[in-house]
Amino acid sequence: MSFKKTTFLSVLFLITYQLSHAQMKRERVNPGGPVETTFWAQTIVGMSTLETLPKHNLNATIMHAFGLATDRPIKEFFGLDIPPNVRLGVDYGLTDRWTLGLGRTTFQKVYDVRSKYALLRQTKSESMPLSLTLKGDLALSTQKDNRPLGDDLSWLLGAPLGKKFSDQLSLQLEPMYAHFNTPVLVGGQQNDLWSLGVGGEYHLSQHFALSFEYYPILGKRNEGTKNAFSLAFNINTGGHVFQLFFASSDWTTEQYILAENNSNFWAGDFRFGFNINRMFWLAGKH
Amino acid sequence: MTRRFGWAVVLFGLFLTLFPTGLRAQSAYESKTGHAEFTSSMPGFTFTGKSDHLVGKITLPDSTVDFYLDLTTVDTGIGMRNRDMRETLDTKKYPFASFYGKLISPFDITQKETQPATVSGNFKVHGVSRQVTIQGKLTPTGQGVRVEASWTLMLKDYNIKPPSILFYKVDQEQKIHIKTLLTPIQ
Repeated sequence: MSFKKTTFLSVLFLITYQLSHAQMKRERVNPGGPVETTFWAQTIVGMSTLETLPKHNLNATIMHAFGLATDRPIKEFFGLDIPPNVRLGVDYGLTDRWTLGLGRTTFQKVYDVRSKYALLRQTKSESMPLSLTLKGDLALSTQKDNRPLGDDLSWLLGAPLGKKFSDQLSLQLEPMYAHFNTPVLVGGQQNDLWSLGVGGEYHLSQHFALSFEYYPILGKRNEGTKNAFSLAFNINTGGHVFQLFFASSDWTTEQYILAENNSNFWAGDFRFGFNINRMFWLAGKH
Repeated sequence: MTRRFGWAVVLFGLFLTLFPTGLRAQSAYESKTGHAEFTSSMPGFTFTGKSDHLVGKITLPDSTVDFYLDLTTVDTGIGMRNRDMRETLDTKKYPFASFYGKLISPFDITQKETQPATVSGNFKVHGVSRQVTIQGKLTPTGQGVRVEASWTLMLKDYNIKPPSILFYKVDQEQKIHIKTLLTPIQ
């Protein structure tokens, strides 16, 4: 090779080398970090999702279940004429992992305090393949019944365990333990109820999703009750999640769903309802 | 003569390549913790997305300006809105917004007052690159160079479809603001 050619190639190499080093290499900040938004809302319909609210996020909810759509459908206009059970509530992200909520339900004038803590979080790198959240709910029925206050208490402990399988599909299992100090409060016999809830969400697009929840009772159950099931259509606008659902139970508080559902979804006993979730940021302007 | 010149070029190139980084560093400034934010509007409502992970570098001898931001670090305050924003920007496919260009206005690092600055180059987001000219300010400080700039971006220019559903509709116009302190590369 002639000296001219060598010189030309050397210069070309050096210029290319310099140019290739001129632009910085683009590097992600945390490419293997926690998976985001396994579920869109804090509940599928009534079942708590493993999702916790980001710090300083407030989620205001209106959960609204009408009467049975299939019981005298024309006379009761598919259940819409029957007094609905409404739960008004707020949840707040104390930290990115810890959410605290309050709610009030029409039936039995139930007030409840609920809390979730994200114990494990699935990561994009799969170093943690699942998410696990601990959930508790303490409810007090304030309907006048001449019983001591303690008799009107019930609570639920749950542990939603789940995975975001893809951008479309998320599934969870939720072992649940419910306790009623006075089962007669809900017309039942069992102080303690167990269930292994199953829930899932399938995203049809950026704004629409289908979801379901199922509450199979394990062990003894209150007489006449059935395993509850709900099917929902979700609309996500970024700040709102609207959930339009068909459900067997008219409750949206888990211990009451386990204790009091007398309707068999698969026999056609379902009702229409909707949840509205509205997210707010409470730490200054954003 | 030609032979000598050839060797001189080769040696100069090697000199540039192997020259200790520390010695070249005094004329280059960078930061990995700059602040970037955008302000988005919709009827009766505005919100801001913020990140403190803006990476930037200015090399004074050749006036090169190089900035980029990992868009997944932008926080709008609401988790659901973040998810929506990332899907809109398709951050899985296009995780960065970046600018690479030249400082085309004069800048004197020895003057300690704020100086207006103009940069021209390619701004890239959502996989679309466009030639832009951006006005800003450069302020030499004892620690380095403070950079501040604002401009407006139209979503349609970058093939970004603004989220629009029910009563929630994001405006085409996005106001961008960055500020950072670039320190000398050690």
